[in-house]
Amino acid sequence: MRFFSALVLVLFLLAGCNGRHVDFNAEIRPILNEQCVACHGGVKTNADLNLQFRDLALIGGESGEPAIVPGDAGSSAMVRMISHSIAEDRMPKDEPPLSEEEIDLIRRWIDQGAEWEQHWAYESPARPDLPKTDAPTPIDAFVRDRLDAEGLEPAPEASCAVLARRVSLDLIGLPATPERMEALCTGGDYEALVDDLLADSSFGERWTALWLDLSRYADSKGYEADRARSIWRYRDWLIDAFNADKPFDAFTIEQLAGDLLPDPTHDQLIATAFNRNSMTNEEGGTDDEEHRLAQVIDRVGTTWEVFQGTTMRCVQCHGHPYDPFVQEDFYASLAIFNNTADWDQPSEEPLLLEFEPAQAGEGKRLEAELAAAHSELIAFVSTPEMMAVQAEWETQLDNPEVNGRLLNTSKNEVLRIAAIPVEERSPHQKTFIRDRFADAHASTEALRTRRRDIRQALFELGPVQTPIMRELSEEKARVTRLFDRGSFLSQLEPVESGIPAVFGETDGPMDRLEFAEWLVSEANPLTARVAVNRFWEQLFGTGIVETTDDFGTIGLAPSHPELLDWLAVSFREDHAWSVKGILKEIVLSATYRQDSAPSAEKLAIDPQNRLISRGPRFRLSAEQLRDQALAVSGLLTEKRGGPSVMPPQPDGIWKNPYNGQQWVTAEGPDRYRRAIYTYARRTGPYPAMLTFDAPSREFCVSRRIRTNTPLQALVTLNDPAYWEAAEALAFRMEQAADTPAEQAVAGYEMALGHRPSDAARATLASLAEETPLSVVANTILNLDAFLTKE
Amino acid sequence: MSIQDEARLRWAHLQTRRHFLKSFSAGIGSMALSSIMGPTSLAGASSGPAALDAFASGSALGNDPLLPKTPHFPAKAKHVIFLHMAGAPSQHELFDYKPLLQRLDGQQTPPSLLEGKRFAFIRGVPKLLGPQATFQQHGESGAWVSNHLPNFSRVVDDVTFLKAMHTDEFNHAPAQLFLYTGSPRLGRPSLGSWALYGLGSENQNLPGFVVLISGAAAPSAGASVYGSGFLPTVYQGVQCRSDGDPVLFLSDPDGVSRDMRQRSIEAINEINRQQYEETQDPEILTRISQYELAFRMQMSVPEAMDIHTEPEAIQTEYGVEPGKVSFANNCLLARRLVERGVRFVQLFHWGWDSHGAGESEALTHGFVDRCRETDQAMTALLTDLKRRGLLDETLVVWGGEFGRTPMLENRTGQDNPFVGRDHHSDVYTMWMAGAGVKRGFTYGETDEIGYQPVSGRVHVHDLQATILHQLGFDHERLTFPFQGRDFRLTDVSGRVVNEILS
Repeated sequence: MRFFSALVLVLFLLAGCNGRHVDFNAEIRPILNEQCVACHGGVKTNADLNLQFRDLALIGGESGEPAIVPGDAGSSAMVRMISHSIAEDRMPKDEPPLSEEEIDLIRRWIDQGAEWEQHWAYESPARPDLPKTDAPTPIDAFVRDRLDAEGLEPAPEASCAVLARRVSLDLIGLPATPERMEALCTGGDYEALVDDLLADSSFGERWTALWLDLSRYADSKGYEADRARSIWRYRDWLIDAFNADKPFDAFTIEQLAGDLLPDPTHDQLIATAFNRNSMTNEEGGTDDEEHRLAQVIDRVGTTWEVFQGTTMRCVQCHGHPYDPFVQEDFYASLAIFNNTADWDQPSEEPLLLEFEPAQAGEGKRLEAELAAAHSELIAFVSTPEMMAVQAEWETQLDNPEVNGRLLNTSKNEVLRIAAIPVEERSPHQKTFIRDRFADAHASTEALRTRRRDIRQALFELGPVQTPIMRELSEEKARVTRLFDRGSFLSQLEPVESGIPAVFGETDGPMDRLEFAEWLVSEANPLTARVAVNRFWEQLFGTGIVETTDDFGTIGLAPSHPELLDWLAVSFREDHAWSVKGILKEIVLSATYRQDSAPSAEKLAIDPQNRLISRGPRFRLSAEQLRDQALAVSGLLTEKRGGPSVMPPQPDGIWKNPYNGQQWVTAEGPDRYRRAIYTYARRTGPYPAMLTFDAPSREFCVSRRIRTNTPLQALVTLNDPAYWEAAEALAFRMEQAADTPAEQAVAGYEMALGHRPSDAARATLASLAEETPLSVVANTILNLDAFLTKE
Repeated sequence: MSIQDEARLRWAHLQTRRHFLKSFSAGIGSMALSSIMGPTSLAGASSGPAALDAFASGSALGNDPLLPKTPHFPAKAKHVIFLHMAGAPSQHELFDYKPLLQRLDGQQTPPSLLEGKRFAFIRGVPKLLGPQATFQQHGESGAWVSNHLPNFSRVVDDVTFLKAMHTDEFNHAPAQLFLYTGSPRLGRPSLGSWALYGLGSENQNLPGFVVLISGAAAPSAGASVYGSGFLPTVYQGVQCRSDGDPVLFLSDPDGVSRDMRQRSIEAINEINRQQYEETQDPEILTRISQYELAFRMQMSVPEAMDIHTEPEAIQTEYGVEPGKVSFANNCLLARRLVERGVRFVQLFHWGWDSHGAGESEALTHGFVDRCRETDQAMTALLTDLKRRGLLDETLVVWGGEFGRTPMLENRTGQDNPFVGRDHHSDVYTMWMAGAGVKRGFTYGETDEIGYQPVSGRVHVHDLQATILHQLGFDHERLTFPFQGRDFRLTDVSGRVVNEILS
């Protein structure tokens, strides 16, 4: 309330003070975004007028008159239109007029020269000066400077038990062990605890959970049959990368373009599976080219969202409605990703095959033989005689006898290419139709049979298969064209790969590796900010930029802009992209270590804790909830990596047509693995995860919106997985004490690491007198304090 | 006394004691309570990043996202029952009678009809296939209905037929997604989720969006057709099942009695209330109310799902098969649910994909079985809703994700072993009834062989706009911000089909 009145006062003062400089980003851009660009911007340019870019606004629309004349509001058509006395002629059309204050702002801004300032996120972050406070760390200096301005005091440090539990859940996704908790609470060093957690190999599993949402990881391909996909090696790559503290620049480059690095290692190839997590459509009658492009489009959107916090998807069909991206920018990005060898095939090739040591020699031999057999087939159809046969074959594609031998799903693309004169075909189109001819024509049967037999022998060795990225050679390169209104069936002029102009000029076309290198270069204003903002959000529940997926002009403004920039620069320079380093910096701050209980005053002034006037307090994630229940009950299996597993789930969740794959509930250790190892099927997500807001991974999800529902209560009360944990905890409680009341207290301590309050102890004791210990344990595992990071 | 009666009694007993609402309302004062219980309006939750903020933190502030909300204008429909015939039933054997198609049966399809067309399975030049049914006109409206739906033909005067429906997709999963989420790709909120997001629920003891599935398989696109997409997960459809737990994890674990569960929730909420007093985190109050609600759902859901309590005559009228999973059971459940205030009931009955590749997919076998499984029950549903005065406020929609070709399918270039038809997206039939939709009316017309539209086309986005309109929404204004723009069910198109509204 106080903040609001202050704001009104400031606006009032500003309105009365004509000489003051008008701030484009704070005062003018919001008016343009709210009132103008829906009709005069990236989506529509009514009357040919675009008010999104300065040069276009100065040119004006179809009237030929400049909308804006810098320095002369009186001659600017825009001012006349928004202040028109006749309602029908006034802008915004058919909407309430702008307020006097808004019109006055625009008038003064034009008089002052109508400068278009860059949106903050597209300017490189510079290391800001530290505010002068006696704060213990730089982070605290920024946070306290803001608190001072609001007249708030930071909260005191949380108790050792609460802090140990918090930092352990945050860094390794598991509650603090009794040993770690005791160490801290008997005068131990907090920094030593943090170092210990960062070195724990559970660290990688916890941070992988974040990246699985971003990379839309799933163990299935999506769409109707939603068949299994073997891509868990990528999940394990993430775990290893976080554990080894792979610098974030290398982490980025390897995922986007590991295959283009010189002599890539197996691991660097596995990393590229990041963008093979897009969905493959295997349904009969689908058009492979359409769905290949759908995958590439998804890769563009995902890459921009994950590394740049930029919403590029809308630019597929038209200019960005708010941000400085034109439709060509999307296709320039598409061109970067559009030259890979995968093409929406059920086999998911190209694959990286990894063999058991005993089979490795034979595997290598067969792979070489397969390549040779394929080359032989291609050589056979590349002779002038066969090329003539192919040309003839292309004229007969109307004949069902001929086209019936083609794969139904690739037929459309073959027909489209056949309709293009040979000399106008791109290298890719030439080789694509040649390869399909080779696959279908009767003359190649012997060669194809040989290739198929070798392939079969190869796969019978049972290698682990992981879909990876492979760039097409020059001989097979695609030409990317602009799609008219986003439709691939209507392709216009060719587009060169590159980055949007707002980020500066680049020389010539750009491949994936160059693009990835640009992302982590100093020239890029977003990568470090977007990354540290995600880490911050994981720890504090809300990002400094709350819209972690959107740093554009309609994303929410950062709560602490200088802090964000300081963290970004520190991450890149001081910590040399070390994720562990920046996380340590954050969790060592007094800001992070604050007690999370708000005072009445703080609830009134800072209800959402956006000022970080207290420690974070919010419900644990789906993964943390499962892992915590398994950990405190002693059930957790500490095995790392490997194929995904199937813990108990109710019958009937998997019921896809045309797919007989069954959920086979694990017995033994695999029943109690951490949540990230649970088999993730897109059309049948694991119910307990879904109920706690985990996405089903069709698309990249930057931010889970936390909900609080009765179905969640039913999961933690009744889901057999949670009930098993309750029974196991009850067993531990029984071992730990003699009387039911003491056992209940022991259970509480095992779950939360500290003694219950007197009142809670009394409630639990009386419950323990009346119900079995497993019900008491189940009760403890459902307490708000247990479900929440305090 | 049944276990449920006992549980109810105990619950009543419990309410008189010092727990739950009483204790927490005393703890936090009437302010928070009224904000939890008070009405909310859609105005604050319709657009802009602020809407997302409200959800990110809404529960903490007591804005329960499921409380009833006021739509843009007064709603004709308070409830929707969507009867989805998954697999896409053939209009040629049910409603779109074409004598010429009968006469052309067995002839080669003229090439002009095949030019530029894509089919899922048809190869080369297929033959035309006459209707595998006999047709008669019914009711005062004179609607054509085939002999496969003898019961339904009696209620045609309550129904509007849409004979020139069309969609953009011709494969099952994308077409189902398109129908329910407005997009052929995964990840967008479904129709029922939008309805719940816009209107909230009238019964806080039951899920507001219930999904009932019968037939041999789930819908092709899986749970995504009733998922909440980018809307908060509270809006996703909850599948209620007639075998196993009616709602996942509704039953207490073996060995835990209702009494123990009650004591347990009592203790959880008691300690949480202490926790609230210590930490003042309003989220805890939401959690307390959600645990109460879970406890109430444990009784109210099985009660609502128990069709055995229906009079014998009603059970017979629907043709229910107690103890089984059947479309008839689900129709009766649908009525029971809307009667109890559930906003959106989505039925799926799988098995209409009549390609003719096997007996179960034959128009002369499997298709006839599907008609038999659904005819009596959907008729009983309309009759029963009408008798109870519920049809006036309940919109019933019937249809598949697309239609079928007037041609015989020839998957391998040769005729299939059984008589079947391929997918067809250009034209198909759906029907709607109740809640302000015209009675005894037909909209849209197809050509002489039921292959292409002649007039009155209704696109899937138009259907969605019309359903939202009956629920009280301007489909262009029911939006949610995601990935940088305001999304809506109808994407960038959609027209309310005013012609079918009374």
